[in-house]
Amino acid sequence: MDKTSSKKLSPRAIGVWRLGNAAGNAIFLGIPAVYYSVFGLNSFHFWIVIALSVIFLSFWVLSVFVIPPLRWKNWRYSIDQDEIDLLRGVLVSTETLIPLSRVQHVDTRQGPLLRWYGLSSVTISTAATTHEIPCLDQVIADRVRKEISTYARLAEEDV
Amino acid sequence: MFEFQRQHPIAAISRAFGLIRGNLITIFVFLIVGARSESFPFLTWIGGGFALLVIIGILDWWRFLFKVEDGELHIKRGIFVRKNLYLTRDRVQVIDISSGVIQRLFGLVKVDIQTAGSTSRAALIEAVPQSTAQHIKLLLSKNGENGTEDETQESIEKEGQTFGLPGKDLLIAASTSGRFGIALSILGTLFSQIEPLIRESDLFEQLFGMLPSQTDGFMIAAIIVLFIVVAWLISFFSTLFMYGDFKVEVREDELVISRGIFEKKRITVPYKRIQALYVTEGIIRQPLGFCSIYIDSAGYGDEKGSGSIVLFPLLHHSKVHSLLQNLVPHYNVHTPGLKPPKRAIRRYIIRSAFFLTLITSILYWPLGLTNWIWLIPVISVWWGWQKYKDAAIGWDSENVIIRNRVLSKKTAIIKRDRIQDSSVSSSWIQRFRNLCTTEVHVASGDHGSSFNIQDIERGDGATYLEEMRKERYKSEEKEPATQLEFSLTLPAWSENQ
Repeated sequence: MDKTSSKKLSPRAIGVWRLGNAAGNAIFLGIPAVYYSVFGLNSFHFWIVIALSVIFLSFWVLSVFVIPPLRWKNWRYSIDQDEIDLLRGVLVSTETLIPLSRVQHVDTRQGPLLRWYGLSSVTISTAATTHEIPCLDQVIADRVRKEISTYARLAEEDV
Repeated sequence: MFEFQRQHPIAAISRAFGLIRGNLITIFVFLIVGARSESFPFLTWIGGGFALLVIIGILDWWRFLFKVEDGELHIKRGIFVRKNLYLTRDRVQVIDISSGVIQRLFGLVKVDIQTAGSTSRAALIEAVPQSTAQHIKLLLSKNGENGTEDETQESIEKEGQTFGLPGKDLLIAASTSGRFGIALSILGTLFSQIEPLIRESDLFEQLFGMLPSQTDGFMIAAIIVLFIVVAWLISFFSTLFMYGDFKVEVREDELVISRGIFEKKRITVPYKRIQALYVTEGIIRQPLGFCSIYIDSAGYGDEKGSGSIVLFPLLHHSKVHSLLQNLVPHYNVHTPGLKPPKRAIRRYIIRSAFFLTLITSILYWPLGLTNWIWLIPVISVWWGWQKYKDAAIGWDSENVIIRNRVLSKKTAIIKRDRIQDSSVSSSWIQRFRNLCTTEVHVASGDHGSSFNIQDIERGDGATYLEEMRKERYKSEEKEPATQLEFSLTLPAWSENQ
């Protein structure tokens, strides 16, 4: 991807992901707890509870403290009048190219968490797939949406 | 035509049958459960159920009214909720006139009117006389205003070249069809349902009495063989009926595919709706040199919402080129291509063999399996190697060709201006090995379908994306940046050409 024209997400995305993962992945911490309440702490079960706790706790710590900044660092997008280019991913890095003539519609979406942070995500749908640019500043998200739909209209074509 | 009119009363029966077919599984479960309880007034319920279906069918027929006025089809239908459906001439894409078993018995036809949208895609008039159908078609076709004579004249002219499936090929297709597995699983479910029934009755003991005394092992083997034979027969005949009387007709700007012995199916595919074409060589068919051709079509496909349509069920791979040349000339292409590097072999093999080997080893001791079970990992290694061998990608200024194997070998040809998106991804292991996975999405039916190739050189993936990014319609004079090594011919493109 052309690094000069590519843009990053709002830095506040890190906060959103942190909060989201902290809440969402907390469910997994319940697994060792449930296991404990069912089987108690006999010698054998003790080690399983410990192992599960360590695994899920480290997963939780990773997903809250390590992954969000990396994810933000690796997210780039660029839009020009021919295509949309998305580059993302920490473990699996993916670069996707969407020709603008294929774009069916563009939406901006905002959940409660995003609204709290004043962010918004842009969803780009083609006839086959849906892509998302997450966590953009509200104003920028609107601009991106307008930009894409203007270009997409220019590139009018059937299916 | 300008007044509302009803369908032929036979539509009521057709509708009732449609309902039965749609709820076949429910009815079946119902039957089995019913047959097993003693207190259940079995026949009453069955009779009542059928009566209800017939009544629904008749009401449905009574409430179904249609007319064509000012180039607009207006259908009123619905028993409790009245639905009004308007289809204007401009929106109508395809009018298919066909006939099922019931229709043919009474000399009637079914009219299927399809529009461009994918949500409200069709209006179906179940049973009308041929003359009415022609009249509807005439009134709804684009140049319908011009009068009757022109139209009939034109429809004769439009009759194009037709390609059928020879009887021998049909037999081969039926005997090697992949529906075998499906039949087997249906049979298994059925058996598990019926088995207690048989066990309770005397039949089971009688059967045992008839057979000469033998070991349990023999018995199990016999049952398995029996199962396989029956499943094969089911798949054989279902394929035979499905693809019997297969025809593809080439018209000026569309293909008409018709198939089916008892239930005729007709699919009209305008050329401009074709998104991709792929040739599959099944695991049984490939050694025999046979393959089948499918197309992905936008917006319109089968009932499940997938846009994959059989373009040709079976042909020898040496005839692929000539057939494509006749049916869809713009899809008969060769491009230079490239393969995953040698060092990817290991990843291909690990990917297919790892879990199978792991499961086999875990199960080996506890279950006390025979040593023959180790054939499974060996076969999976071979399978991985096959997958590596078949993977290839090629592109030129207009096409992308991707070939891969899951179980069957699949070679897809995609027009570049039909690609919805293309992506290149690499996991951290792939990054370490400097490899990547390339994936292409095309529209197909309501969802879409994707074609991918795993573990090509990372640089090649980047080049591929770069090529896709170029001004896609004016790249005539541009040479591909990488050296694409061999020419891809379909479907048995070889490396040494």
